[in-house]
Amino acid sequence: MDQNIEVKKQSVRRTRRSFLVAAAGAAGGYGFYRWIDRADEDQLLQEPLRKALNVNAALAKTVFDERALAPTYNVSESRELRVNGNYGLKQALVPGSYRLQVVGMENAKAHPKYVNDVTAWDYQYVAEEGKYEGHDTKVAPKAEDPAPNILPAFAKAMDEYKKAQGSKPPRGQEEAGKSDSTLETGTGGLLLTMDDVTRLPRHEMVTQFKCIEGWSEIVHWGGVRLADFIAAYPPAKNAQGELPKYVYMETPNGDYYCGYNLKECMHPQSTLVTEMAGKPMEQFHGAPLRLHMPIKYGYKQIKRIGLIAYTDDKPDDYWTKLGYDWYAGL
Amino acid sequence: MEPTREHDPAVEEDAEAVETFEPALVLEKKHPLAIRWMHWVNFPVLFTMIWSGILIYWNDSDNAYRHPHEVYRVGLGSLTLVRFFPPWFYKAIDAPYHVTTALGYHFFFMWIFAINGLLYVAFLLWSREWKFLAPTKASIREAIQVTLVDLHLRKGLPPQTKYNGAQRIAYSSVILMGFGSLVTGLAIYKPTQLHWITSLLGGYEMARWLHFWLTISFCGFFLVHVGQVILAGWNNFRAMVSGYELRRKDEPSIEAERSKS
Repeated sequence: MDQNIEVKKQSVRRTRRSFLVAAAGAAGGYGFYRWIDRADEDQLLQEPLRKALNVNAALAKTVFDERALAPTYNVSESRELRVNGNYGLKQALVPGSYRLQVVGMENAKAHPKYVNDVTAWDYQYVAEEGKYEGHDTKVAPKAEDPAPNILPAFAKAMDEYKKAQGSKPPRGQEEAGKSDSTLETGTGGLLLTMDDVTRLPRHEMVTQFKCIEGWSEIVHWGGVRLADFIAAYPPAKNAQGELPKYVYMETPNGDYYCGYNLKECMHPQSTLVTEMAGKPMEQFHGAPLRLHMPIKYGYKQIKRIGLIAYTDDKPDDYWTKLGYDWYAGL
Repeated sequence: MEPTREHDPAVEEDAEAVETFEPALVLEKKHPLAIRWMHWVNFPVLFTMIWSGILIYWNDSDNAYRHPHEVYRVGLGSLTLVRFFPPWFYKAIDAPYHVTTALGYHFFFMWIFAINGLLYVAFLLWSREWKFLAPTKASIREAIQVTLVDLHLRKGLPPQTKYNGAQRIAYSSVILMGFGSLVTGLAIYKPTQLHWITSLLGGYEMARWLHFWLTISFCGFFLVHVGQVILAGWNNFRAMVSGYELRRKDEPSIEAERSKS
């Protein structure tokens, strides 16, 4: 039938045209993927993806403004937190040698605990090598040591840094290397003892700890609110009379470090932890002082805090350097 | 009464007998342009979400020594039949240590997935195409019939215009699943700021569990969907690209039903 031939011709025309458009669309889609995949990296993450994380963070801050409180639980629902990662904790700290460095505080020089160079403080570690190598449940006790997963660029930079350091112990010996925000020698600030921290109002809560790896545990925390600490040791305002935007923390040896927005540190559930599960905290959990923030993933909840610094420069962050989100807000 | 020879085309045009028997065909609009675009945009985007999702899930298996996955398994009590995913699977797809890239993709493409999905639903409502999609009273019976036909236990598919009952149920479900993935995803993404969603879903771990099984369901949908498209043939597949399908003139018209509503 002539009519059917005409209909089929029409169909062929439509098919040809639409499949050409489809092919162009598929090519465009593949091009978009290639553009992301081959983009230059910003801290080990392709720039478009890093940008997406930053846009998401800005949006979350605008929409939520860190207002919400995380759900709390009964102590009976809590359990001992698993240990995951021991960067900055691989040697046992001699408790008496602990000091908390505070930098960027308002009117710091008038404070009795002020020193001209906080970086000169000498933390003491347990001497016997191999006796205390941290506590990491990821590693099976009798497993053979896997080859260190260090990128060549880091390894090279590390070697050069070690040479330049001479006899001083180098800072930032883990995969992400030395923090860009680590203090310059000669930075003045406070050297607080644990008594200076624990004399603040005691705060206890039971919240869920969430690891970006995909597990979560309900934990009973005790300590002081970070907001109370900041009120007691307030940040200096800048030349424009504004509060600094960020807070930077790192372990005494500079191996692990985290950056936060000041606002997140003022959240009422952001806690400087001294006790876990109703007991004084163990060193492998970050004793004498670690952070818990239910508005952040676990990798922001730094253990063994040696420094709290107020700053207007966005601080370096250990896992951000290795490709994770800086904000990590929940 | 004996039929007249003139009215018997088979006898009248002997030479073109084969062609004469071909029923009259029409080319009919089946899928609107917007639906086709959104369908095909969704395909690679959902693939990216699932792929990056698996790479993200891998990160927990890194703890397998002391803390094996407790949730993502098929089993009863202490008996586990399958654990998601076995090491050989992760190795085969090169999952280990790509979690940061995967998180980047997941939290970028979630926007495309969400916006495309919301536009799709909005378009269905605005264009009234949802009437072809929403299950009707007859859908369950039809779906059973279709399943029996596919299992070769019955012959003859039920009559349909755009979609049969099985398709109506499947395509409506997959929209709900997409919505479920967005909501459970949000509950995992912002479990503090949006803790009320997380709590409504039964908590953070439950939200993760739901998010995971919705993903597995998408994979199941995909396998059945692709299988059915292959069975339905070229004319049907082509319509999802060109929008037009060839049909016999005496078959029920989609356009007629579309203009009726």
